[in-house]
Amino acid sequence: MTTLSRRDFLKLAGIVAGSAALSSCAPVYENLARLGDDFPLPQGVDPQTFALVNRLSFSAGAADLERVADVGIHAWVREQIEYTSVPDEACNLRLRQFKTLDLSANDLFDLSDKIFEEKDRLTVPDELRQATLMRQTYSRRQLYERMVEFWSDHFNISTEKGDCFYLKTVDDREVIRPHALGFFSDLLWASSHSPAMLVYLDNQSNLKDAPNENYAREVMELHSLGVEGGYAQQDVMELARCLTGWTMKEHFWRGDFHFDEDVHDSGVKKVLGMNIPAGGLDEAERVIRDLGLHPSTAHFLGFKLCRRFIADEPPAALVSSVAERFTATNGDIHAVMQTLLTEGIPHIQPKFKRPADFIISALRQLDARTDGGAPLQKFLARMGQPYFTWPTPDGYPDTSAPWMSNLMPRWQFAAALAQNEIKGTSIDVENLLAISGTTGIESFTKWASTLLLGAPLPEEDCQKMASALRAAGAGDEISTARVVIAGLLASPAFQWK
Amino acid sequence: MKTQHISHTSRKPLLSFAPAQTAPRGDVLVVVFLRGAADVLNMVVPHGEDEYYKLRPALGIPRPDDNKAKAEERTIDLDGFFGFHPILAPLLPIWQEGHLGIIHACGAHDDSHSHFKAQELMERGVENEHGPASGWIGRHLATLNTNNASPMRAIALGEMPQRSLYGSVPVSALRSLEDFKLRGDELAVAQMQAALGSLYSGNDSLSHLGRETMSILDTLEKITPRSPNSQSPNYPESNFGRGLREIGSIIKAEVGLEVAAIDLDGWDTHFAQGVQVGLMPRLMTDLAEGLAAFHAEMIDHADKLTVVVMTEFGRRAYENASLGTDHGHGGMMMLVSGNLKSRGVFGQWPGLKSHQLFGPGDLAVTTDYRDILGEVCARRLNNPALDGIFPNYDVKMPDLFR
Repeated sequence: MTTLSRRDFLKLAGIVAGSAALSSCAPVYENLARLGDDFPLPQGVDPQTFALVNRLSFSAGAADLERVADVGIHAWVREQIEYTSVPDEACNLRLRQFKTLDLSANDLFDLSDKIFEEKDRLTVPDELRQATLMRQTYSRRQLYERMVEFWSDHFNISTEKGDCFYLKTVDDREVIRPHALGFFSDLLWASSHSPAMLVYLDNQSNLKDAPNENYAREVMELHSLGVEGGYAQQDVMELARCLTGWTMKEHFWRGDFHFDEDVHDSGVKKVLGMNIPAGGLDEAERVIRDLGLHPSTAHFLGFKLCRRFIADEPPAALVSSVAERFTATNGDIHAVMQTLLTEGIPHIQPKFKRPADFIISALRQLDARTDGGAPLQKFLARMGQPYFTWPTPDGYPDTSAPWMSNLMPRWQFAAALAQNEIKGTSIDVENLLAISGTTGIESFTKWASTLLLGAPLPEEDCQKMASALRAAGAGDEISTARVVIAGLLASPAFQWK
Repeated sequence: MKTQHISHTSRKPLLSFAPAQTAPRGDVLVVVFLRGAADVLNMVVPHGEDEYYKLRPALGIPRPDDNKAKAEERTIDLDGFFGFHPILAPLLPIWQEGHLGIIHACGAHDDSHSHFKAQELMERGVENEHGPASGWIGRHLATLNTNNASPMRAIALGEMPQRSLYGSVPVSALRSLEDFKLRGDELAVAQMQAALGSLYSGNDSLSHLGRETMSILDTLEKITPRSPNSQSPNYPESNFGRGLREIGSIIKAEVGLEVAAIDLDGWDTHFAQGVQVGLMPRLMTDLAEGLAAFHAEMIDHADKLTVVVMTEFGRRAYENASLGTDHGHGGMMMLVSGNLKSRGVFGQWPGLKSHQLFGPGDLAVTTDYRDILGEVCARRLNNPALDGIFPNYDVKMPDLFR
């Protein structure tokens, strides 16, 4: 990626200033102006457009804001939902280095054992983690990548469990990404046939006369109906019987889906009031088709999507509208997102950035260069969100509270990024300082806070920070600029989006 | 293997959904994991068993009264049947104080002989690969509300949190106290602290948390680095020694630590493991000196501190042709605590005669490791939720603690 020119940055600052001027005639966003105590964004400025782009993306990078300025926020949202029309060659070029993304499960498994080529069990999952970070940082299809992230949590798989270390790469490619803005029933169908999921939730050992209920339970509780979705223990047991024999190949073409008739329970079953005659693979497939369209599923997914994109506790009426749209469109996620955004934006409440959100927002907003490599991934791990390693099937927490007690690694990351001490990742502070055209700590703080927070810190806060920095000792202009950037990245305001 | 048990373990993971019980904080728990499967038969030596010397003609540790061996190379008798490898002598003061309990022939029932699988299962606290993917310590923390909002409730010494810590509480991994520190030159750090001080001055909850984090930072800064002349005991100069020293510092700083996990790696001694010198003696030196220094430093806290030492499995009872030992089964656990009813080598000794050995010639397991950890959780950590910590396992407390 080329460094931003001075002109680009002036344009960017103009967008931010412009959006502030528009605030009074945008009542639709007025909730954002009434910020709670936990969201110490300054009063009296308009962070609305910036905040909206931030919420729908991995943060408002310069290129996104530029595009918003060109076509308007509504057109930008529309094209993000219709993501296939957004060109993404630059990001795809960066991904070419990751050869494992396209390999079959069997090849991935074989490759994980080639110690003489320095390949081991970490090769495949590490490359997926690296590629994921690169996509979230560099893709222009930001809303799509946010959906991929959402479904990766919803259909959580930990690479730490058994064969999942290589199967997750296949799941990401063939389950999550093709359907992230497609039809939910297709997504659920693909996930249920995904060896990664079957291994992760123990369906390998779900056998005739020795049922394992793990996947049968989670596919209803966590993937579709929700815990209040109206199923009973008997349904879990019966669905588990339907799912006996759903497993993966262990020998030739290891890691492919396999239905093992020999261990399938061929008796009749009854799931959710539906009689299921003996039919092999078709038994569970019938149930999964129903689950994908069930009204409880519509409501559960409506709630989770609203929680991710709108607020930790979304209004019930909004959840109902989104669920209705889900049912009316047979679970068309792309249509559901249209309704969610059209009706949900007035209800947006601040959310605490999860670690990946936090790190990638810093990279994107400072126009960093990164290879997504191990030194950067280590910060994610220290903050508690290494990709694809959440152990329980409920996915990384999506509310603010669980993440708030681990600030130190965020501060360390802020300082390390500003000082260019993360191998493989860098920012150009000299350039930022030059294009800011500012002199003095106060004015640079004002400029940089606009860049990072969408609005300048209030005058008195800028002064407070400047005098604190001066009291701590004077450095040269560049090193002071680094501290200002580090401080802003570490600040309470930057932890929210 | 496909028994009734499997359908039990397939219940939804308890961790993320179980409500926490409220109880006052118990001991600080320090879990030391010896990775690679330690040769426990050469650590706590069954010198009263003739079979041991038949199985280990070259690697056996001489009997306490073996006049043919140099005195300093003989087993140090503990109870007439078991004794320490002489290199574990630094642990003797702890034994003499009555603060050391050893559970021999202790471990898990998994017989895969795989480090990877055995460590994973043991740290998850589960019987087989089914059941919750979280760790037993993670579930302990998630099921117990101690009204402790400290960001240092649990720490992992190392690059990444140990599997046992996985759970709903995000855990900080730190290689050292250096990790809980702002880096850079003096001026940059001073300026960063100044910036944070001005930015986190608000009344919102995040600013409060930020100020708490800064106060921990201040506290930790005052306690490190120690002056070279300080009276602190001699920790070994190793990652393990440094890690224990730092755990000690964090406990003394009273910043809300409840659990720390630390590893000592490298026990996979298939080849030339060494008797008095070499690979395994070096590891034992590190372990014994580290634990002894930690115990000496923390002696005033001994009533509120429990140290657990564990390993994924033991090694083959008979030595191999390369003067090493292969993967075995039964292992050993150690407890260091001021609250043991008595010192001792506990557990039922299965014996080393060929019909008493397990599988290819391994020490059998007579005590499940979860019985020990379960008693630690219930008696020392005030957590009665053993069903949640060790799902589908019925903990049988051996009643070692007061």
